[in-house]
Amino acid sequence: MPSLQAGYAPNLSFYLKSLKAQPVESSIENLISLLKRRQITNSRPCAVATAHLLLQVVAKFRWTNIDKLIKRIQDVGRRLIEAQPREMVVGNIVRRVLGMVRDEAKEDRNEDASDSASNSQSDRGASHSGGPPPTFSPLRFSTTDDSDSTEATGDDVFEGQSHGASRPPLITSHTSYAPAGGLPPQKSMFQLLSANPSPASTPPGAQSPQNTSNLNATSLAHRITTSTKDLKAEVIEGIEEIVDELDQADDRIAAQSLEYIHSNEVILTHSSSKSVQKFLLEAAKKRKFTVIIAESYPNDHEATHKSVTRSISTDAEGADELSTPKFSKSLSDAGITVILMTDATIFAIMSRVNKVILATHAVIANGGLIAAAGARIIAKAARVHRTPVIVVSGVYKLSPQYPFEFESLIEYGDPGNIVRYQDGALVENLEVDNPVYDYVPPDLVDLYITNIGAHAPSYLYRIVADHYKTEDINFDKPELQ
Amino acid sequence: MSHSQKGKVAAGGKGAAKAKKAAGGKKSENDREDTLQAVILADSFETRFNPFTLETPRCLLPLANTPLIEYTLEFLAMAGVADIFIYCGAHTSAVQSYILSSKWHPSTSAASPFNTLEIVKTTARSVGDALRDLDSRDMITGDFLLVHGDLVSNLPIDEALRNHRERRVKDKNAIMTMILRAGGLGEHRTKAKGITPVFVVDPGKNRCVHYEEMHPLQAHKYVDLDEELLKDHKDIEVRTDLIDCGIDICTPDVLALWAESFDYEVPRRHFLHGVLKDYELNGKTIHTEIVDDRYAARVFNLQSYDSVSKDVLGRWTYPLVPDSNLVAGQSYKFERGSLYKENDVMLARTCKAGKKTVLGKGTSVGAGSVVSNSIIGRDCQIGKNVTIKDAYIWDNVLIGDGSHVERAIIANEAVIGKSCKIQPGALISYKVGLSDNTEIRPNQRITRAKRKRDDDSETEDEVPSDPSIVGSSGHGYEFRDAEEFSDDEEAAFHSSLIYSTQHLNLSNASISTLSSSLSSADEPSGPRSRLSSFTSLSDDGDNEGFHHDAVQGILDTLHEHGDFDSAKLEFMGLRLSNDATDHQIRRAIAVAFSKHISQLVDGEQKTEASKAAASAFATGGAVPFLKNVALSTGTEEDAVDFLRCLQKDAVNRGSGPLVLAAVCQRLYEEEVVGEEAFLRWWEEAEGMGEDEDVEMKRVRAKTGVFVEWLREAESESESGSGSDEEESEEESEDE
Repeated sequence: MPSLQAGYAPNLSFYLKSLKAQPVESSIENLISLLKRRQITNSRPCAVATAHLLLQVVAKFRWTNIDKLIKRIQDVGRRLIEAQPREMVVGNIVRRVLGMVRDEAKEDRNEDASDSASNSQSDRGASHSGGPPPTFSPLRFSTTDDSDSTEATGDDVFEGQSHGASRPPLITSHTSYAPAGGLPPQKSMFQLLSANPSPASTPPGAQSPQNTSNLNATSLAHRITTSTKDLKAEVIEGIEEIVDELDQADDRIAAQSLEYIHSNEVILTHSSSKSVQKFLLEAAKKRKFTVIIAESYPNDHEATHKSVTRSISTDAEGADELSTPKFSKSLSDAGITVILMTDATIFAIMSRVNKVILATHAVIANGGLIAAAGARIIAKAARVHRTPVIVVSGVYKLSPQYPFEFESLIEYGDPGNIVRYQDGALVENLEVDNPVYDYVPPDLVDLYITNIGAHAPSYLYRIVADHYKTEDINFDKPELQ
Repeated sequence: MSHSQKGKVAAGGKGAAKAKKAAGGKKSENDREDTLQAVILADSFETRFNPFTLETPRCLLPLANTPLIEYTLEFLAMAGVADIFIYCGAHTSAVQSYILSSKWHPSTSAASPFNTLEIVKTTARSVGDALRDLDSRDMITGDFLLVHGDLVSNLPIDEALRNHRERRVKDKNAIMTMILRAGGLGEHRTKAKGITPVFVVDPGKNRCVHYEEMHPLQAHKYVDLDEELLKDHKDIEVRTDLIDCGIDICTPDVLALWAESFDYEVPRRHFLHGVLKDYELNGKTIHTEIVDDRYAARVFNLQSYDSVSKDVLGRWTYPLVPDSNLVAGQSYKFERGSLYKENDVMLARTCKAGKKTVLGKGTSVGAGSVVSNSIIGRDCQIGKNVTIKDAYIWDNVLIGDGSHVERAIIANEAVIGKSCKIQPGALISYKVGLSDNTEIRPNQRITRAKRKRDDDSETEDEVPSDPSIVGSSGHGYEFRDAEEFSDDEEAAFHSSLIYSTQHLNLSNASISTLSSSLSSADEPSGPRSRLSSFTSLSDDGDNEGFHHDAVQGILDTLHEHGDFDSAKLEFMGLRLSNDATDHQIRRAIAVAFSKHISQLVDGEQKTEASKAAASAFATGGAVPFLKNVALSTGTEEDAVDFLRCLQKDAVNRGSGPLVLAAVCQRLYEEEVVGEEAFLRWWEEAEGMGEDEDVEMKRVRAKTGVFVEWLREAESESESGSGSDEEESEEESEDE
């Protein structure tokens, strides 16, 4: 909201700006307070803030061995999760980073033990052949050689090579567009276990060429600037890739939209999710269809109304999410026929709907999801009419946790959105519950579209296994480990 | 955009501060260095939370198990305030040690969102004094937020701030913006009960043009509006529905205004009322920002403690709710039906922890107990078959088996025996012990606080326990603060947990609502009980402030045997600033004299009434003061009115009849009041016959002798008395 930008109230962009200048400890505490005060809410802002914070934690933390780093990240992560357990992405990001660090460390040790430098070198060559000019790799090697010679011990030479070899995150990010460039088959195993599989790695063609070249350029720049032998740099780079993934998740999801939205379909959606809107806008570039939006009163109706009606000019100022590209068209401007209706009419309209597209707050390992309140009614109504329910969600929202009480994941918000506080008699005599989220069980969902492709709910456990290390799943609950 | 505004604002500022502010503005051109400052008034300068505030400052009292000041600081952190000044009066060290050990102090905690936090100890005895002190310190460099240390709010203030600045750019006289929460026209638990603030607002300009306070015992229910207001403003809204949460966005000019008017004590009834009234003079305007979503309220008395607690549990203050765990170490979890439970709570299988309940860490509830709508702190032990309903129980409290607690507040470390019954409205303060089978009556207040012996001695005495109240093995005594003796109705409004007007005599005209420096603990009981005079006397409720201050001023002079000449100056100043009527002046003087004399009479020395009166009148300049100020016109009506005031006041004094007689005699001897006036007063009273109040009759009985004597004297020498009167009149004209 523009008002927040003009004022003093802290928010995500203030926080990100303050990160560099502040000592790490106050940044951590600051984020904890912001989470507690709900000044950073919703999945993406929370994820972005967490990732940036962890970047600082890693960058500014002096560590001698990898276990200490892991412990430090766990420690920070535990505090963040405690601050706001219902923002599950915070835990997800921490776990992703932890897994990535573990991978790096493992690579490190493996390479020390086995002499696979040549192997990886050839890998690297293969991956380079796709994108950057091969002249870069000699350059890079020369830098490592330089540093080796300055440090001047035999071990270091070895280590330098091993580090150079242990660059799965980078390599995978290149391999994402590499299928054309002839990726060696054994690479795919590598990718599966890789801590931070590049978002684009699995679905070939899911990525727009533009994106890849951007990604390519940035990671290439990283590659040149960071010394390959530095594990810390590897980790930082890994976190930066997670940040990139957060930025690009919506675009990747949107790129798949044409496969799911067909001409003249009637789509029902709910609330003002950016992911869903991008998905629809992308499809609207080629196809004509109708979207029915349930306004999701009372917590999100204003934003939903805005998403339907806002004009381009106001939107340009309304920069509420810092790191996502601004989304400058309303749905109706894009040529979609938009029907806004109240939540109560969902069931009545459902018989005419071809597809339901839902946004999520978090996805749980069993395939169920936590979404804006009202989602469950929609899913239920869709089930009765046998209308397919598609959930649009970045992989970063997928949580490895399997809570036994779903109630505990649901946040209760300000009852003032439902009953006006001015109404003294109601305030005095009523108990007003305003659940912000709903739990939708997995059997009501037909398909998840993520930035790494589309999956059935029953397959999500597999993605969880790919993204998180089992030892990290319950890191915040020592009693379960 | 805010920088440029700030620059202009600074340029518009006045004199001395101008250069400094302009410099600050320039600095902020480059990056947004223009930070927001806030002043927290951590001392309330009131006693509404007695007996708890005898031992803990109000801002540290727990609301839903979180100290009040945490909510205030969270609000300021949410607003992005950078520099904080906390003004403390009583219990400064407690506030200081709390802040230093909390996450808020930037020097001790990395978590502090503030750049600087300064705790200012002040000897101020009112908000006004504190702000004048602040002005003299020169710490405020730009616009600042003024809040009280008992504010609970989740309002985003950015919009109000922006509007304030925009107004400031247009007109440098727009010095203050008050944020007010609309509370609806109906009953509302969080709206101030008893005293209703009346804001008269020009809705087009969001400008507040008049402010008054009304209370239910007021005789007339009118607000006097200057007709000029109706001419100047096209629309005017008279709003009584607003919840005044005490958030003011101020410019440094506000402090300057406080400094100029040394007699302002409270922000609303004095400052706001005064500045608005003097609009013609100073041209300053005060604006309002009326919000109708989100939450903002102050915990300014026990009833609002109750209602704000309910609001917090009902999540109206979201995200400032227990399960946000604002204070480090809290681990509240929310369960459906608003049950907030911390880790390590032990509930017996057969106990019932009902809705809207908070249970702190380490608390155990025994079998068969029922807890509902209550807040229970940490490490409390609730026995078996205990019923707790609508109660507030703080930390480390023990409640014995079979006890029953309803709508009460039980403070830290209190021990309640078995089968005790604590009835609604009871307040049980720190460390009080009740033996088994004790019953605490409604609205009883029990404490163990040490009491200062007298106003002149600094030693604190342990007060012996009162077995008739706390039982044979209990600890504690019933707390009565000074005003209790004279059944002050202000206390009835503010210091009881349950709001009720039933026990108040609604036929009485008006009461005092003032609670200011006078009420601090070490005051003698004197100035407080004087308030009682309002109950019987006042019929002009809107000027309590004047009466209060005036009486206090005269009393001080009398007590110290000071000089009435200087008192007179001050008094006249007060009169002008409050626009007091002659009647009010007479009333104030009458009350002060009669009070002083009756204090002497009832005091330890047991002075005889006549001697006491003589000593009062012997105070330097007392007689001319009475003649010139109390009876400035010298007419008989005034003298009669003055006598009536004396009589009414005497009704409330133990030795009233004696005092009245003695004062009358003195007045006659000093030729302040002529015998004509005496006789007329007497005849009017006699003339009322059966209609006359019994009390009034009783009081004047003793004066009868004097009047008889007067009559005889008159009949003996009619000419003499006439000349007497003439003389006195002449004298008063001379001066």
